[in-house]
Amino acid sequence: MHPSVASAPPSPAESPRPTPPASAPPAVEVADLRRRYGDFEAVRGVSFEVRPGEVFALLGVNGAGKTSALEVLEGLAPVSGGSVRVLGADPRRERAVVRPHLGVLLQVSGLPGDLTVAETVRTWAGTLTAPRPVDEALAQVDLTGRADVRVRSLSGGERRRLDLALALLGRPRVLVLDEPTTGLDPESRRTVWRLVRDLVDDGAAVVLTTHHLEEAEELADRIAVMRAGRIVLAGTREEIAETQPATIRFTLDDGVPQPPVPAGVHVVSAGPRVEWHTRALQPALARLLAWAAAYGVVLRGLQARSASLEQAFLAVADAE
Amino acid sequence: MTTLATPVGPSPLRRVGALAAAETRLLARNRTAVVNSVLMPLLLVGFVAVVGGDGLLGADLLVAAAGFTLVFLTYYNLVTTYVARREDLVLQRLRTGELSDGQVLLATAVPTLLVTAVQIGLVAAGVAVLGRWTAPVDPVLPVLAVLLGATVMVLLATASTVFTRTPESAQITTLPVVMGATALSGLFFPLNVLPEELATVARLLPLTPVIELAQLGVDGRTWDGEVVAGAGLWWAALGPLGTLLAWTAIAALATARWFRWSPRR
Repeated sequence: MHPSVASAPPSPAESPRPTPPASAPPAVEVADLRRRYGDFEAVRGVSFEVRPGEVFALLGVNGAGKTSALEVLEGLAPVSGGSVRVLGADPRRERAVVRPHLGVLLQVSGLPGDLTVAETVRTWAGTLTAPRPVDEALAQVDLTGRADVRVRSLSGGERRRLDLALALLGRPRVLVLDEPTTGLDPESRRTVWRLVRDLVDDGAAVVLTTHHLEEAEELADRIAVMRAGRIVLAGTREEIAETQPATIRFTLDDGVPQPPVPAGVHVVSAGPRVEWHTRALQPALARLLAWAAAYGVVLRGLQARSASLEQAFLAVADAE
Repeated sequence: MTTLATPVGPSPLRRVGALAAAETRLLARNRTAVVNSVLMPLLLVGFVAVVGGDGLLGADLLVAAAGFTLVFLTYYNLVTTYVARREDLVLQRLRTGELSDGQVLLATAVPTLLVTAVQIGLVAAGVAVLGRWTAPVDPVLPVLAVLLGATVMVLLATASTVFTRTPESAQITTLPVVMGATALSGLFFPLNVLPEELATVARLLPLTPVIELAQLGVDGRTWDGEVVAGAGLWWAALGPLGTLLAWTAIAALATARWFRWSPRR
């Protein structure tokens, strides 16, 4: 009787997110996508790529065209122009080839009210090629305790989690999530974020839309901001934020003279409530603090903030 | 070249079966629907037996029951079911899975088709029990008639969802098919009492060929009242068969072109 072989050494407790090899072919390729409804062009030439192990977030206000773009990725709608490839295949024409590897969560969807949670998952699993076990699917979204509850009795957040469980049931390699955490309480939201991160660590490619900026900041490797059917900003979180200046704010007491304005600072409002915008935050702040120390000036409510994604997003929303 | 290695997974029949089983379970949990499904055939058969008088006995009663069931149950139920699923956003959800569009629609229709089969079966059993059963001249034709008729009704139902906004409005939007198809189908009166042009039109309506084919199979009688046999039987069957195939094609094309999976925004 051979002795059993010792198992592999334990993995480190906290391994950094593995970076996919740059040569891995993109899981999702969108090139100059256009989508038209009659006279109205909802998507006007959108292009992006998503690699395995990457999260791509599409931000934008309602009506920007996010869902219209996603519906093409999901294989539910034809392109009016351009092309979309998921895992190298056309998600609509080669639907039978793509779907076993694609998990979709629509922005709104319904499930029959009179089936229990477990029955719903079991039914869905019965239509899939290689579903994960029902218990595992329920555990992933913390619905194990609600397995025998009818769908009509679930809360909105629970329903959304059930929907997500169905999207993940087939162990997809590509996930398209349209506003996945809308209507979820903060704890459920974090559960979903953790779930998405785990899937991405296993090599899935995720395209999600959201208008929660913190969700994009938390999850996304790359972000694109859509407005009126076009991508107007794209890049990593840092790259997008850098398109906006940093902000310094403080309030001067009565009778205090204005500080000298350092180079590279644009004065948005002068005293007593001062707001400066600058792309060289540290030097500007250093000069300001040096001046304040030298003259014994108290800078009340001093705030120095690097450019944020929110700023960039609002700038896009405001422009026009 | 794709890098997709797709394992085969369950057969299409099993996949459709999984959804169909769930839909049937849902029907069984809907008490109103179950009561309607059981009561309806009894009421309809009673109605037909009374209205038809002495002329309707045995296999003729079965033909009439099949015709009524196909329109009042199969067609009408399916329109309300599809519209309800669409408005509840369930159809669009189902469409994001691995089932094809056609498989989703078929699975949704299964419970209604099962009830249709059960109802026709119950009437057949009732006829046999009453001792009124007569062996059909050609058993294939009536079966074919019901199968094709059911197909046409399913497709007419999917096509009808295009102009049916809510499950409640189905009561109105289904009137053209329900009234139009049954009135001149040969169920209430033989078509040969109509002037020739009108009879021709009547024979082109969706339910009439079902009745015609079934009648041919049951006792070899054509719509004209003529009795045929052997090759003449199949020759006479060509007309209604062609009409049913044409309706299948028309309804299928209309569905493919205009069917909506989600409510109008």
